[in-house]
Amino acid sequence: MSVDIIKISPGFEEIMPEDYRDLVNNGSYGKGFSVSELGTFKELIEEHPLCAGCGLALSLRFILASLPDPEDTVIVGTTGCNSLAEAQVAIHNIHSIFGNQNAVATGLKRALEIRFPGRTKDVVVMAGDGGVGDIGLGTTMHSWLRGEKFTTIMFDNEAYANTGGQESGMSCEGTVLNMAPTGKKFPKIPLPEIARDAGCVYTAVVTPSNPKRLGKMVRQAILIARELGPSYIQIYCPCPTNYKFKPSESIKRAKEKEKDGSYPVREYFSPKAKEFVERLEKRVNETG
Amino acid sequence: MYFAAEVEQEKCKGCKLCIFSCPEPNAIIFKPAKKKVSIDPKRCKACGLCLEACKFLAVTITQVK
Ligand code: SF4
Ligand code: SF4
Repeated sequence: MSVDIIKISPGFEEIMPEDYRDLVNNGSYGKGFSVSELGTFKELIEEHPLCAGCGLALSLRFILASLPDPEDTVIVGTTGCNSLAEAQVAIHNIHSIFGNQNAVATGLKRALEIRFPGRTKDVVVMAGDGGVGDIGLGTTMHSWLRGEKFTTIMFDNEAYANTGGQESGMSCEGTVLNMAPTGKKFPKIPLPEIARDAGCVYTAVVTPSNPKRLGKMVRQAILIARELGPSYIQIYCPCPTNYKFKPSESIKRAKEKEKDGSYPVREYFSPKAKEFVERLEKRVNETG
Repeated sequence: MYFAAEVEQEKCKGCKLCIFSCPEPNAIIFKPAKKKVSIDPKRCKACGLCLEACKFLAVTITQVK
């Protein structure tokens, strides 16, 4: 998509909703904004129905502000809290049937390469822990094993949050939720390590407590996926509604989990991905 | 009637920490000329994250009529 496509046709300026005009005039398409500039431009997401204090909503803002080329990006989502917000995003996006996101993304990425030769189109899967780690684990793993060149981002709120609070594979052992009253009986799935072993050339585990760090990882993951192969980012998204803490404590909770080792921030690079990132950083340093 | 966050302009130092803690898009806007932020009460869910983030105690949550 060219940046021109989001421009308003002459004569229609006045009848377009204010938010749309704002997006065209002050949005981030083609301008290369980053997380640091949030608050100074119209964001790529509008008002969403996610709960007050939602860590997923916070992470989504940071991700959207970090996309290397939003105008050439397609998001593939699936059922979950995130799908309620993704409908408000001003980027091409597809809602796939629960668990199908990485299969859909595979077809889409390949089709875009044929349809737009010579032009880079980024496909980014954004889905919840249920979509990626449980219901869609088969399609997710197979896209990694096949080496498909797109990024998968998991919003890990450690529960099925919009269906009343069932445990997911990503909930920690012993977690008690509304619909897991006796506590979860098996440990959290070590998906980052599974991703690394299944062929993801770059894997990152992070929380939204540090926006710049998250932004850098997202950018890195997308750029690496373009060149080398699948990348995976897992973001801890504190859920005040199901884990029953105050909405104002979401970020504090993320920081605590990083510190006490229950959600360690970490990155895995394949040797080629490491080399690629070092080259990229060198180029950035040289050009300022 | 609902609740929303508000920034006391005299106390705000423009550090943008609140912007980086808000889950709501386009709710807290940075005004470069004044180097301060303001909050659109219609977009705020009164979660209190910005209040926790602000080191200068510039944010309060108040009732909006
Ligand atoms: S965190 Fe406080 S001082 Fe900093 S910009 Fe926000 S309101 Fe102003
Ligand atoms: S109270 Fe919550 S929703 Fe309202 S401006 Fe602050 S962080 Fe954003």
